[in-house]
Amino acid sequence: MASPVGKIRILLGIAGRNLFASRARTAIIGAILLLGTALVVAGSSLVESVDRGMRSSIQGSLGGHLQVYSAASKDELALYGGMGREPLLEPIVDFARVKEALSRVPNVKRVVPMGIDQALVAGGNQLDIGLEKLRADVRFLEGGDRSAELLRRYEAHKSHLRRMISLLWDELQASRALADDQLIRDRKQANEDLARASSPAFWDGFEKDRLGSLEFLENRVAPQAMEGTTTFVRYVGTDIDAFMEAFDRAYVVEGERVPKGQRGILLGKWYAEEYLKLKSARRLDKLKDARDYQRRTIAADAELQRWVKENQSQLNEIQMQLDPLQAEEAVARLQKGLGSSEKELGKLLSELLRTSDADFDHKYRLYYEQLAPLLQLYSIRVGDTITIKAASRSGFINSVNVKVYGFVHFRGLEKSRLAGVMSLLDLMTWRDLYGYLSREQSEEMTALRAAAGTRQVSRENAEAELFGGGGGVEAVSQKAARIDEAAVLADIGGRKKSDDLFDRVYTQEERDRGVALNAAILLRDPSRLRQTQAELEKAAPGLGLKVVDWQKASGLVGQSVSLFRMVLYTAVLIIFAVALVIINNAMVMATLQRVREIGTMRAIGAQRRFVTAMLLVETAAVSLLFGAGGAGLGAFAVWLIRALGGIPAGNDQLYFFFSGPALLPTLGTTSVAISMALVLVVSLISGFYPALIAMKVSPVEAMASDD
Amino acid sequence: MSAIVSVTNVSKIYKLGKTEVPALRGVSLEIDQGEFLSVAGPSGSGKTTLLNLVGCVDTPTSGSVVVDGKDTTALSERALTSLRLDSIGFIFQSFNLVAVLSVFQNVEFPLLLQGRLGKKERADRVNGLLEAVGLGDHARHRPSELSGGQRQRVAVARALVGRPKLVLADEPTANLDSQTGANIIDLMRDMNRKDGTTFLFSTHDQKVLSHANAVIRIADGQLLGRETVARAG
Repeated sequence: MASPVGKIRILLGIAGRNLFASRARTAIIGAILLLGTALVVAGSSLVESVDRGMRSSIQGSLGGHLQVYSAASKDELALYGGMGREPLLEPIVDFARVKEALSRVPNVKRVVPMGIDQALVAGGNQLDIGLEKLRADVRFLEGGDRSAELLRRYEAHKSHLRRMISLLWDELQASRALADDQLIRDRKQANEDLARASSPAFWDGFEKDRLGSLEFLENRVAPQAMEGTTTFVRYVGTDIDAFMEAFDRAYVVEGERVPKGQRGILLGKWYAEEYLKLKSARRLDKLKDARDYQRRTIAADAELQRWVKENQSQLNEIQMQLDPLQAEEAVARLQKGLGSSEKELGKLLSELLRTSDADFDHKYRLYYEQLAPLLQLYSIRVGDTITIKAASRSGFINSVNVKVYGFVHFRGLEKSRLAGVMSLLDLMTWRDLYGYLSREQSEEMTALRAAAGTRQVSRENAEAELFGGGGGVEAVSQKAARIDEAAVLADIGGRKKSDDLFDRVYTQEERDRGVALNAAILLRDPSRLRQTQAELEKAAPGLGLKVVDWQKASGLVGQSVSLFRMVLYTAVLIIFAVALVIINNAMVMATLQRVREIGTMRAIGAQRRFVTAMLLVETAAVSLLFGAGGAGLGAFAVWLIRALGGIPAGNDQLYFFFSGPALLPTLGTTSVAISMALVLVVSLISGFYPALIAMKVSPVEAMASDD
Repeated sequence: MSAIVSVTNVSKIYKLGKTEVPALRGVSLEIDQGEFLSVAGPSGSGKTTLLNLVGCVDTPTSGSVVVDGKDTTALSERALTSLRLDSIGFIFQSFNLVAVLSVFQNVEFPLLLQGRLGKKERADRVNGLLEAVGLGDHARHRPSELSGGQRQRVAVARALVGRPKLVLADEPTANLDSQTGANIIDLMRDMNRKDGTTFLFSTHDQKVLSHANAVIRIADGQLLGRETVARAG
């Protein structure tokens, strides 16, 4: 035909006029399509943004692009924890071999060894700190210093310590009421020690033997206060240098990186904030966060009011820390800051922490600028040595001491529990905790067994020697009669506590040769992830490894985006299925009403394909028109969310999904394309049957009379 | 004059379930170019069936229908449609205008389907015809804004716009009052005289019959005869 333009024009003209003529029908169809496409565009843009955020969070903080772990593992790898516990993974016995083999795949940039676990951490306690201060004073006294300033400080520290011990004693008496007889008998020795330390006689005699008394307090009393400061830490045992290079989101926020090749731990900053910080400081931070970022007010929010109340009722943690001199200083600073003449520290603290919306910012500054410098805000400080106790592979408890070099944060995920709860532990220490024997250790064990079999030892001494930890290999091998593996392992672990281990620098080879649980793989070209995964899988069976992508490796966390996506797609599917039925119905009705008109057109000389096209153009026009409108609406919604500052991450979990404090969705061109394609497909399918009816209309219909 | 239509021994049988209803039985007819011919007969006599067959919207059960030199029984659906488009104009009892199109667009429609003329030529042709049927200033109106007579004038214009050799009109006056009906027939007659377009229309209105120059009488599916109408003036 010579004039397709004119024909298209008339087709569009007829379609447009028909749509306008039956406005109600068009409006209903349009509304459904509008809603559907708006949902697809906005929803999939959101899901894609969350997906991108989470991809960035997981890949940049722990997951990398791919992960490998032993194919013999009972559980699946779950980097962020499984169902209530860490998954059980079989060890990769020789990481060096795995690294070597995997690095041969061209797209593999880095292979980072990992072992994730949880353990108890016993941090330094207030009693330890008090003793440390007193010992410093005693050292000066013994050195002959008799200045008034020193003596004043010495007395203050002594009375502080005495007060803490009496608090500890009270606590013990209170707990005795609850404990059973067995426990009381077990703790008999500890009890007697504490009773002695809190007696006036002990303190009267303190001056006679300062060093001896200090030793008694340090060895017999301080450990009893330890339990109060125990927390759980989740850590990844890794080659810290390789980790920091591979995961660019990780940065040291305080302190320094563990020196290359040395033992040490970088504690998760979020973990430190949540579990190691003074409760009152933590609550003030949370209040500030709620007020500044979540726009909540103390006046209107019951949770904030509760925090304020708890802060006022738990003043002991602050008072315990202050020796009389510091307490005096604190009173002076608070009087000035609060404009009060109150002399009692407790009341001043209570006044400080009784925050309202009006004075919060002032009191927050006062707390951090005036009070905090007198306090130790975190129960573990950079430079401290902490004891980590973990259940080893063989089931018994392993314990190692490790130096804290600093705190680690994950950029953009500072408030996320999932990322921030993770601490970075050096691989050597992790292997000690994990309890899997390296080849050298195995050889050492065999040698020990052989040696032990030939010696006789007195049973009374055996226990002390085995568990004392200081004895070393010779002592054990000379005295142990019947040695068991656990005892020897404990001893090997014990030896690691010595200071020379902290300074030892391990070579890359030493770090690589040994056990790991899984390994993160970073790719040169992440877009070729699937291909590389296939290549690695080909290489993997020989190594007994399983290769999973970052999403699968992240466990439940990774699945949640799939869940969001599934919910969205289901909703979209339902909407479009409904749209399909409704549009189809409406168009069939409309077509049946127009049989005469269609017959006339056919009689006049319109070919079948013309009337078919007429019907299809009509559904396509209404679909595209409202589809485009819906896409525009969805795009506007996305823009509006961005303009209003995004969707705030209301909790830690969302912080991780959003990869930051708020989700700033971006309009996905694919979402728009997909929505338009969907609309077109739906319109064509729903227009198909009416078009078929139109095609079958005979031109004879035109002749039918009205009556 | 040569025959534009020749119908030879045509039968048409409709099937209603298992019963067969014969609508035409052995009809033969020749229509010459330039005729203004009427088919008359009572309802159900087979008038419409004959028009359908001559108009190529239907094909006979037996016999042959040759329109403009083409045997319709031998043509495909597509070819029949093309034949209708190029050679035949239709005027319907109920006007059958496309409700959503304007008067101008309704008349232009066959030209768009033909696709032979440019925009300007189409407009000239359509406007000329609208002037001729007396609706020159109604081009932008919708069919619903017109009276029955005016609508049928639009239909006449639409039937003629493609310059067909044959125009079929099925009871073109049945839905009009007698005066208006007479006017429509006069209009058709004018066109017939001016351009030599052949008209075949069915009616059972005696007054209308008097305008034709020949009448074919039909009853029970059979042709009763053909009579020439003697006309004054």
